Amino acid sequence: MKLNLNTPVVENREQRLGTIIAWDGAASELSAESAYARGACGAGCGEKARRVCELQGPFTQGSVCSEQMVECQAGNVRDAVLIQHAPIGCGAGQVIYNSIYRNGLAMRKLPVENLRLICTNLQESDMVFGGVEKLEQSIRDAWERHRPKAIFIGTSCATGIIGDDVDSVASRLEEELAIPVIPLHCEGFRSKHWSTGFDATQHGIVRQIVRKNPQKQEDLVNVICLWGTDVFTPMLKELGLRVNYVVDLATVEELAQLSEAAATVGFCHTLASYLATALEQAFGVPEIKAPQPYGFAGTDAWIRELARVTGREAQAEAYIAKEHARVKPRLEELRQRLKGKKGYVATGSAYAHGLIAVLRELGVEVDGSLVFHHDPVYDSQDPRQDSLSHLVDHYGDVPHFSVSNRQQYQFYGLLQRVKPDFILIRHNGLAPLASRLGIPAAPLGDEHHALGYQGMLNLGETILEILARKKFHDDLAAHTQLPYKQAWLRQSDPFILARKRQAEAKGSYD
Amino acid sequence: MSHGEGLRQSQEAVIGKTQKTNSIQQIRYACSIAALHSACAIPRVIPITHCGPGCADKQFMNVAFYNGFQGGGYGGGAVVPSTNATEKEVVFGGMERLRELIAASLEVLEADLFVVLTGCISDLVGDDVGSVVKEFQLRGVPIVYAETGGFKGNNFTGHELVTRAIIDQFVGDDEGPRDSGVVNVWSLLPFHNTFWRGDLAEMKRILEGVGLQVNILFGHESRGVAEWKGIPRAQFNLVLSPWLGLETAEHLQEKYGQPYLHVPVIPIGAKQTSAFLRQVVEFAGLDREKAEQFIQKEENTYYRYLEDFSDFYAEYWWGLPAQFAVIGDSAYNLALTKFLVNQLGVIPGKLIITENPPERFREGIREQFRTIADDVSVEVEFEEDSWRIHQLIRQTYFGHKPPIIFGTTWERDLVKELKGAIVEVGFPASYEVVLSRSYVGYRGALTLLEKIYTTTVSASA
Repeated sequence: MKLNLNTPVVENREQRLGTIIAWDGAASELSAESAYARGACGAGCGEKARRVCELQGPFTQGSVCSEQMVECQAGNVRDAVLIQHAPIGCGAGQVIYNSIYRNGLAMRKLPVENLRLICTNLQESDMVFGGVEKLEQSIRDAWERHRPKAIFIGTSCATGIIGDDVDSVASRLEEELAIPVIPLHCEGFRSKHWSTGFDATQHGIVRQIVRKNPQKQEDLVNVICLWGTDVFTPMLKELGLRVNYVVDLATVEELAQLSEAAATVGFCHTLASYLATALEQAFGVPEIKAPQPYGFAGTDAWIRELARVTGREAQAEAYIAKEHARVKPRLEELRQRLKGKKGYVATGSAYAHGLIAVLRELGVEVDGSLVFHHDPVYDSQDPRQDSLSHLVDHYGDVPHFSVSNRQQYQFYGLLQRVKPDFILIRHNGLAPLASRLGIPAAPLGDEHHALGYQGMLNLGETILEILARKKFHDDLAAHTQLPYKQAWLRQSDPFILARKRQAEAKGSYD
Repeated sequence: MSHGEGLRQSQEAVIGKTQKTNSIQQIRYACSIAALHSACAIPRVIPITHCGPGCADKQFMNVAFYNGFQGGGYGGGAVVPSTNATEKEVVFGGMERLRELIAASLEVLEADLFVVLTGCISDLVGDDVGSVVKEFQLRGVPIVYAETGGFKGNNFTGHELVTRAIIDQFVGDDEGPRDSGVVNVWSLLPFHNTFWRGDLAEMKRILEGVGLQVNILFGHESRGVAEWKGIPRAQFNLVLSPWLGLETAEHLQEKYGQPYLHVPVIPIGAKQTSAFLRQVVEFAGLDREKAEQFIQKEENTYYRYLEDFSDFYAEYWWGLPAQFAVIGDSAYNLALTKFLVNQLGVIPGKLIITENPPERFREGIREQFRTIADDVSVEVEFEEDSWRIHQLIRQTYFGHKPPIIFGTTWERDLVKELKGAIVEVGFPASYEVVLSRSYVGYRGALTLLEKIYTTTVSASA
């Protein structure tokens, strides 16, 4: 299945990959149901080969949309401007992504500044007469105010419904201003999972920013990441490689040279899937087909594959041996101190697979985990990237492995099943509930925290810090009020509403 | 302007010339559906949002999280019920999905009242949300709805829609007797104002101090829906803000024949607070002597602290800022300016109002600033786009030393450029953690003084 880079609209995840947002069972079962190997789930689930059965319930809590991911990706390119073609409410996201941008710049030791997002501020009359004139005005404002190297345009639910012709405005102004003006189609309703927004941004970058006639740089490696600290430069230096960080905090020039790199890697297949595959497909930049760099097994394999592709095998073996020797004594101490502790991971999909591996390396029990979505396959379709199977095969099964798109009402029951001592989390919405139940959370704002050999030590130290917060949490738990009905809290199956609806739909509920 | 012309102009010339357009960079308010915060600001009330999958999260994370890290409270947060509308609802309408969500919410959630709010999708495809909600109302479910599509207005106007929805669809008609000495307070916009919880608590405290019984309506000091049910029985409504709440008060006057008192300036510091309380005592016909006792006691405490503070104010070697700018919505802008000018003697450099108040209230707001003190008159500007706001500040002469800027996180870079000091007092305040802090009344003024001068002093070396 080739990515279609010819149209401005990215194909969404559920169509490309069969992404689901609700499922409940053991990790081994989900891995078996997923397409890499192991086929579909039976007659009930339609014809698509990589269709995994999905539970859809009547009750849903606020999720996240693709446009938000466009804001946090395209909106955090350092010398570009993102226009939000939308009513002012979509512009609210400027606040959080400014904060993340500023703190990300500080972590990366770059000059701290506000981001550059402009909302076209559409109003009721624009819904009737269309908003393209305002879009054109905002593009001109962006140009006059910042002289950006590129202008991105994110669409919204409103502009999608009224049918504004964003593409033709963009191409007209691209010609006039002589910089890339890139429409990113990311209407919130278009995809049930926000990760389509990553793809929308990456699709636009490959189509309109990446250099079409690349001069190869044989020591340059694309790292697809978010805002985390720079852990890749020291690692890759050991192999004589340089890092090209994208998409957040990159410059337009850094994006342009994506096609010139020797390879592409990511910290998480969910995020990197589309861009890495597109670069390989369109420009022959090889994507590193390996497990993600978490725990010894993943990191060893990841480094070896990167070394193989870039012709640096000898350095890699020396580095791997050196790092194993360096981290093992402290890792052993951490294992002693974490003995008997139970952890729970609630993050994006592929990232969770990596984090669970690290917890298991630390000797922490992981009986349950929640991922916000599941991609039965990534865009490469290469089984070496089957991160869930890698987890199950190397670190054992996770008996309670749930897919739930940030549904807090289910999270209560999921935690009751396994009663963890702490949780690892990145996205908002769930940790406050855990807190009120007395369970501290380690928020991973720096997403590179647990990566590679050092990441195992980092995460171990962080967990020790977090466990100390138990005192605050116990006190809070004793005095807390949850907005859920007692009957719901007593319910042992967090997916019961969806199962009921499914059974009713089949007319066989008893 | 043609492209060639644009290119020829130097960056500086362009900056000077930039005209007001539709563009808003670095937002200072959200859209109507952000008024979901007005629902969850009432104890045990839960909003249900009928909108795209990102709307509820976006409004919460930005209005309530990266703005003082206030948290969502009992019924709020990033995970309020939402239809998370998909293409299906766009094409076929979302009424069935909403009906299903409301029914499921009743099974899962424990609330005294649900407030359904709509987003762009529902309002554009024309869902008849009223009829869906009505089905539940007829079954006796405490639930109301407001159409708050993002293109219809901002969260200030959305707040009045939600308030009106609760009054008309939940509180309902009331012919009962009035309770003298009871007041409904309509003031700051919950959550959008970073300090609303603490401020409403202080307002309630001082109003009770002069002998009133107070329906504060929002926040931890509110008794929730019982208090809202009591709205029609109050002797009067107090609108304590330049304009927000006036529409509600006018509606209540019409609906229940309730009079209202409009005080545009939220009081900060003893001078303003005592004057405010006396005005309320007069209007409500309260026992003056009792009220004076409270005022004297509060003033006494306040001024003893001010005496202590005067050592610092008189003698601090390294100098204090003499001029200030406020960039914020009219309520806090007016309150701060009145306090800084009248009680501290700081000079106003530039005042910019950012919440886009309805046209009919603007002249009244201007007039308040023109008469800010006997000897000081200022012209305020109304501007929402931070790019233009920052240009206005850059073009202002603040005298021989840098000003102190009362603004938002958006001003952090600007303040560095001006080598001034910043106190984040409004949305978004992403570098403040706020629990019960208040900047109004007697006690809040002291906290505000601590904040202003801690900021100044800590930046001095």
